[in-house]
Amino acid sequence: MNGIIEVENLRFGYLPHSEILKDISFKVKRGTFLAIAGPNGAGKTTLLNLLCGALVPQSGLIRIDSMPTESYGTEALAKKMAVVRQEFIPVFAFSVSETVLMARIPYYNSIGFEAEADKKIVSEALEATDTAQFAARTLANLSAGERQRVFIARALAQDTPILLLDEPTSFLDLKHQVGIYDLLKKMQQEYGKTIVAVTHDINLTIQYADEALLLGADSNYHIGKTNDVFSPQQIEKVFGVRTFTGKVGQENFFLPLGKFAKDNQIITRKPPSNQ
Amino acid sequence: MKELLTAKKLAVRTALALGILAGVMLVCSLIGTESVSLKAVFSTDTQKAVNPDYEIFVRVRLPRIVLAALVGAALASAGVVFQAILRNPLADPYILGISSGAGLGATIVVVSGLSWTLWGHSPIAVFAFVGALGTVLLVWFISRLTGKFHITGLLLAGVVVNAFFSSVIMFLTSVVKSQKVYATIFWLMGNMTEEGFLVLWLAAGCIVGGISALFYIGPQLNALSFTDDDARSMGVNPAKTRIIAFAAAAFITAIAVSLSGLIGFVGLVVPHSVRLIFGPDHRQSIPLSAIAGAIFLVIADTVARLIVAPAQLPVGVVTAIVGGPFFLILLVRCSKKVGWLK
Amino acid sequence: MNKWSCLLLITLSWMGIGLAISGFRHKQKCDTTPLPRQVHRIVSMAPDLTEILFAIGLDEKIVGVTIDSDYPPPAVRKSKIGTFWQPNIEAIIAARPDLVITLGFDQQKDTAERLKRIGYNCLTIDVWKVSDLFEAIEKIGIATGRQQQATKLANDIRNNLDRLSNLVGTQNKIKVLWVVQREPLRIAGRDTFINELIELAGGENAIGPTLHKYPPIGAEQVIASDAEVIIEPAMGQQDIAMQQISAFNYWSRFKNLPAVINKKIFVIPGDTVSRLGPRIYQGTETIAKCLRPELFPN
Repeated sequence: MNGIIEVENLRFGYLPHSEILKDISFKVKRGTFLAIAGPNGAGKTTLLNLLCGALVPQSGLIRIDSMPTESYGTEALAKKMAVVRQEFIPVFAFSVSETVLMARIPYYNSIGFEAEADKKIVSEALEATDTAQFAARTLANLSAGERQRVFIARALAQDTPILLLDEPTSFLDLKHQVGIYDLLKKMQQEYGKTIVAVTHDINLTIQYADEALLLGADSNYHIGKTNDVFSPQQIEKVFGVRTFTGKVGQENFFLPLGKFAKDNQIITRKPPSNQ
Repeated sequence: MKELLTAKKLAVRTALALGILAGVMLVCSLIGTESVSLKAVFSTDTQKAVNPDYEIFVRVRLPRIVLAALVGAALASAGVVFQAILRNPLADPYILGISSGAGLGATIVVVSGLSWTLWGHSPIAVFAFVGALGTVLLVWFISRLTGKFHITGLLLAGVVVNAFFSSVIMFLTSVVKSQKVYATIFWLMGNMTEEGFLVLWLAAGCIVGGISALFYIGPQLNALSFTDDDARSMGVNPAKTRIIAFAAAAFITAIAVSLSGLIGFVGLVVPHSVRLIFGPDHRQSIPLSAIAGAIFLVIADTVARLIVAPAQLPVGVVTAIVGGPFFLILLVRCSKKVGWLK
Repeated sequence: MNKWSCLLLITLSWMGIGLAISGFRHKQKCDTTPLPRQVHRIVSMAPDLTEILFAIGLDEKIVGVTIDSDYPPPAVRKSKIGTFWQPNIEAIIAARPDLVITLGFDQQKDTAERLKRIGYNCLTIDVWKVSDLFEAIEKIGIATGRQQQATKLANDIRNNLDRLSNLVGTQNKIKVLWVVQREPLRIAGRDTFINELIELAGGENAIGPTLHKYPPIGAEQVIASDAEVIIEPAMGQQDIAMQQISAFNYWSRFKNLPAVINKKIFVIPGDTVSRLGPRIYQGTETIAKCLRPELFPN
């Protein structure tokens, strides 16, 4: 069955003869929550940028909703995909609500202004990300975590079937990490959105994502259901760390332990446990 | 969601600002070294063959004031847009070589003593215009040598071209006869003269048209305040927006500069002040800066005409002397709104 | 129709309307050509032009002069229309002139162009050399209907100058250093009318040909010039005696210059030698007196 995102034989490198992504193919079905994980430099952010059209592949094809990304105009693509990147403070002092309202640019009326419907969508997005209280503050006056939530709110306000996120919880405290993942899951389950999130947090990923794409540094990749992809052997092979594996309920959890960690013996004494 | 811009709010503010502009223009057109009263201007007293009040009002003052308004509007709105494209609140319309290009064009005319006239005008304006736009193109091409669009590349190319052309101007000025030096320097400092009806009409069309084009891309300029990738994800094509913004802003600046010489400060101080008071939304700051720039320059020109009468100060001198302290006061008062002061 | 094509349409229509109106007005202006008038109200934009106008008897008709037009004395009472460097176009219009006379300097020419565009009758005269002066007088005479008086004035000046030339003879030209400014030191070069006056008075410029008309020169060139006479036109209205003393003090540093050794340093009244006007003869005579005092017993 066709997915909403299809990647075929994707190759990309920043320099002519170096390749970060070699011959990657996968499909993402509509309404899936896909996590992309891997070590630094494996090409996770690069893959995200290729998916949203910011980068052009050297060879291979990416299709969004059955049409190649090149065939979409900038505005049309923005109505299909919203992207959350690293938080950023612009040179000009835009407020939170002004920032989130910019998500509605593709929907502005002919003289360039928002309608009431646009303002309502933005309101809801601010509420959902717990940022409505800062609506009038400028971005510079927020903490990094608060700003990150604002950018997530902006992506939500774009009201697109696909959401791409690049480490959306990197600056968030526990409460808000969980809050964002809950929100993303709700978007997926209640609104049928397709979520693709690059993440470093394997355990939360396992709890929330349906599928995972594990990118190795040498451009090997594994894609499949999260519990198939995340096994202690895979993690040790791809990340180069040994983990203590345990089971929470349905899902595993992995605790990476290094040489000087307090409970290091638990990994060195026993071989990795098979569940 | 209070404090948000709506079309209605903008319309009201623009209408008010236009009203203030009209008032300022009227008052300033009645001020001058000769006293002119509105009644006398419109009197049909046929005792004198020529009505000097009418002549002064209609042929000397009004054209100057209209020109000042147009130039002020062009420079201020171009300033807003250059600050947006370059993501730098310290940019002004001259930063990418327009000033030195126009200056070089004008200097070449003066120095070579070209004496043919274009409908009674010296060819200074034409050469300045060509010089300005040509230099912008040159800077754009030089910056393309650095590959993908880099703001730094553009700024560096502008700095290099400005420096080189300025030195050529200085060289020409130093080897030329002394009277022509005066003419060149006078032009470089910015001044208003009475232009004919057609010139003012056409310039008005170009400038107002250009400002409207910039207003149209206001939302896109808002998005461009973030990174290029962010803007693209929001549905804004960064390259296309930049080209339109650049072309329109450079065009209206070139027209302004070719008609009135180099008037500084307007393109830097007015956008800042409007942004401090009204916020950074470009849909608002572009039209309001245009009107504020017009008001500012009309007043500055009136001061330039009067303060050392019968001599005239170059307008550029007044804008600098007035603009500097005014901006400082505004900055101190509204500094809490400025994020980068923290 | 999207907003861009709307904008383009409006802008193009605006331009079209403007061209149409302008074409109509131009036609209107051509159809009603004004008849040539008698000149009754004259504005003079330079002191030498003012002097010429007074000299050919037009004092009644002058309605505006520059602030620096101070000769003859009645000129001071006329309405002021700005300075020689910065004419005040509003004051000019307020004087309702039917003839405005300007010199050929860039700023003056510029003002003349502006006035012509507004619709005033302007006469621009280039007066760079002594021969230009005679032409200028004739031109003004023609424009104001006073050819007879103008020709007489020109001839008078010419005859006086010729007489002076003959008196001083053409032998033994005396080297003159003409100093227009002391700090930095600037002199009048060979391409100036001042040089012509010097030559008519029996001298020659101590400095050779230069690029600029009034170039700055260094101490080396001063010493190399071997000047026999140094002449400085007085600055402003200051006491000439005081300026003479300070001149002696200043030049005393050039101990080996013939002019300093023989104490031939003169500060002379400025107006008659810096204005190329009717009093040029008096100026030249003053210079001749500095060069060869023995020829002028009184």
